[in-house]
Amino acid sequence: MHSSKILIIGAGQAGIYAASEIRKHDQDSAITIFGDENYLPYERPPLSKDFLMNKRKEDEFLFFSKNFFEDNKITFIKEKIKNIDFKKQELVSVFNKNFSYDKLLITTGSTNRKMLLGSKIDNEIYYLRNLDDALKIKEKTLKKNKIAIIGGGFIGLEIASSFNQLNKEVNLIEISNQLMGRIIPPSIANIVKNQHEKHGNKIQMDSKIRDIQKNHHGYKIFLENDTLIEAEIIIAGIGSKPSVSLFNYSDLEIENGIVTDEYCQTSIENVYAAGDVANFYHPLFKKKLRLESYQHAQNHGINAGKNIAGIKTQYLSIPWMWSDQFNFNLQLTGICDQYDDVIVRGTTLEEGIINFFIKNNKIAGACGLGLMGKVGRDIRISTKLIEKNITIDKKILLDQNLKLNLLMKNL
Amino acid sequence: MTDNWIEVAKVDAIEMEDLIRFDHGDKTFCIYRIQDGFYATDGICTHEAVHLEDGLVMDDEIECPMHQGIFNIKTGEAISPPACDDLKTYPVKVENDLVYINIS
Repeated sequence: MHSSKILIIGAGQAGIYAASEIRKHDQDSAITIFGDENYLPYERPPLSKDFLMNKRKEDEFLFFSKNFFEDNKITFIKEKIKNIDFKKQELVSVFNKNFSYDKLLITTGSTNRKMLLGSKIDNEIYYLRNLDDALKIKEKTLKKNKIAIIGGGFIGLEIASSFNQLNKEVNLIEISNQLMGRIIPPSIANIVKNQHEKHGNKIQMDSKIRDIQKNHHGYKIFLENDTLIEAEIIIAGIGSKPSVSLFNYSDLEIENGIVTDEYCQTSIENVYAAGDVANFYHPLFKKKLRLESYQHAQNHGINAGKNIAGIKTQYLSIPWMWSDQFNFNLQLTGICDQYDDVIVRGTTLEEGIINFFIKNNKIAGACGLGLMGKVGRDIRISTKLIEKNITIDKKILLDQNLKLNLLMKNL
Repeated sequence: MTDNWIEVAKVDAIEMEDLIRFDHGDKTFCIYRIQDGFYATDGICTHEAVHLEDGLVMDDEIECPMHQGIFNIKTGEAISPPACDDLKTYPVKVENDLVYINIS
């Protein structure tokens, strides 16, 4: 096999799985991965949950063992890249070191959208993306009780759930009339809201912030409807955008992230992109998607690794994500905003509630909410049915006495 | 029969390519029926504390319903992340249409 110099910018999940996959197929190429964090690559989901709740320590959610890099002859460099020359095929780090490549993988992920109030308070708002953010939040909230969370998306809600379980007083402010954006069915979003309120969290919907003032106790948040919320710390989870600033003045095609085909190939030869940062073409949905989820980061990274190692493989994974809050688990698969019909199965959290989005007599997407473990199996079956493009018998979906495994008989 | 073999259920109580939960004392297990026969593992996923009884059995693999970690039913091996620690397995036997697990 031809030995190459392969560089990976971004040591998150997509990058590290790509590196691992390349090495499985290619023992000779030099693989170097650059990270701008001071830690070995780690999982992000625990940051808003177990880590925040002190149930897991920071070295308990690494992706691989500490010997992974040595065992796989992968070089891990904790240096930020500041410049890239696609013509020379060279990277320059913040320490002005040059690195040349034959193949490049970009897995720079996404960055948080920031609140812009136009005052000094902008710099006092906390965000949660990485381990350093989580450590700062934990330190600040050790002796604080009143938490204000701006943004009713998955991150905001998970943080709200975690702080509630730490017996803090939580106020969550959402600008729209529904939690978790438009991809979650309103009925399910409503149950989530009720659960949070049942546990004592206050949720302000349709709420825009007019002003935030600081005093020696903390902050006074004034909403446009004149509601006043007092807080000792403000955490915002208001969405994210792909991290492409390094490439803005280059020839790389960028549109809602780095544009790639179904093989993680970008508009520049020998340059690949995967994970949060990639706006990739999906052959089954026949359109471009950009997904920010654990499973996508992992599978897209693996796919990029295969293609870089010379094994041309289409990326065909069906989107799937989860959110854990309190004792319930929410899962989403496929595409849930284009459908002819919706079939609902289940009415309680104990049995699990799933909305199936049907298009042309096939499941296009599904969203489930239930106590821990209750919706996973049927959501997983839905993913498989979407993958195999199976026409379903709606009667089976509608009859709760029939197991959905029946729909898989023809797989 | 030694004391280590514990009766779980009738063979018919477990459907093909399916599983049941079995609790004994303070331990909990999953008992599987697949094409190759009956198998048993610890019941709790090694990734996070959720019972695998609600997981999906396909061929000889069990998928955790929470985060889709995959284990091999026969060996307990963690095949797909986020599962990385193997599940403990236990011997199973069938006698007179009854399924037994050996917890030693």
